[in-house]
Amino acid sequence: MLILTRKSGEGLFIGDDIRITILEIRGKQIRLGIEAPHSVVVLREEIYRRIQEENLQAAGARDIDVSEIAQLWRQE
Amino acid sequence: MRIMASNLQTTSPDPAIFSVKTRNFGSIEVRSDQIIYLDPGLLGFTRYHRYVLIEHHREAPFLWLQCLDKGDLAFVVVDPRNLLPDYHPGPLTQAMQDLEVEHPEDLKILVILTIPPGNPQEMTANLMGPVVINLRTRQGKQLIVEDANYSHKHRVLPG
Repeated sequence: MLILTRKSGEGLFIGDDIRITILEIRGKQIRLGIEAPHSVVVLREEIYRRIQEENLQAAGARDIDVSEIAQLWRQE
Repeated sequence: MRIMASNLQTTSPDPAIFSVKTRNFGSIEVRSDQIIYLDPGLLGFTRYHRYVLIEHHREAPFLWLQCLDKGDLAFVVVDPRNLLPDYHPGPLTQAMQDLEVEHPEDLKILVILTIPPGNPQEMTANLMGPVVINLRTRQGKQLIVEDANYSHKHRVLPG
C-alpha cells in the first residue's frame, strides 16, 4: 500500500482524472473531496462491500430456484 | 426460454450470431443486437460487461441476466415495480442522463434477487443496487442507492 502524508487543503491525483482533496480534519474525522469521471464508482467502503457481497450471493442462483420462486409468486 | 431484444427499431438484417455455453441453459445462440453492456460491471464482477436478458416464464415476472463473458454467471432479476409500485430511487435521474435515455420507455430497471438455496420463500431483492439499462443503446450499469427506504435485502414473499 502506498502511504502519503497530507495536510488539510492538500490533495492528490490518481491518474489524470481522479483528484482527492483533504477538505477538513476534525478530531477523528476527515472530510475528503473527490472529483472523478461519472464512469468511476466512488463509494464508502461499507456500502461497496454490502453490494458486492449481495451480488456474490445472488450469483449462485440455479434454474430450479427460479422455477420454485415462479411457483411461489403465482400462489401469492 | 426467450432472449429479449432491445428497443432498437433498425436491427440489421443479419446480425452476427454466436454461441455461448451457460450453466443453466446449455449452449445459447445470441445475436449481437441482444447484447447488453454493463459498464462499470456489477460490483464483484466488474470485468464482465456483456449480458443478455432471458425470459424465464410468461406467468412470472422473473428474468435471467445471463453473463456472456462468463457462462456460469447469471442473476435472477425482476422489475422492482412488481414489488414496490412506486420504486423510484434518487440517483435514477442522474443515471438516465449518464445513459442518455431520451424516452422513459427505453429505461429498464431491474433488481437482483438472492434466493437462499433450498429456501426460496426467503428470497430477497437488492433495492440498493438496481441495474439500469437503456434499451435503445443497450448500455447499462448498477446504480448504488443510499436511501434508508431501500434495503439490500428486501423481502419479496411474506414470511
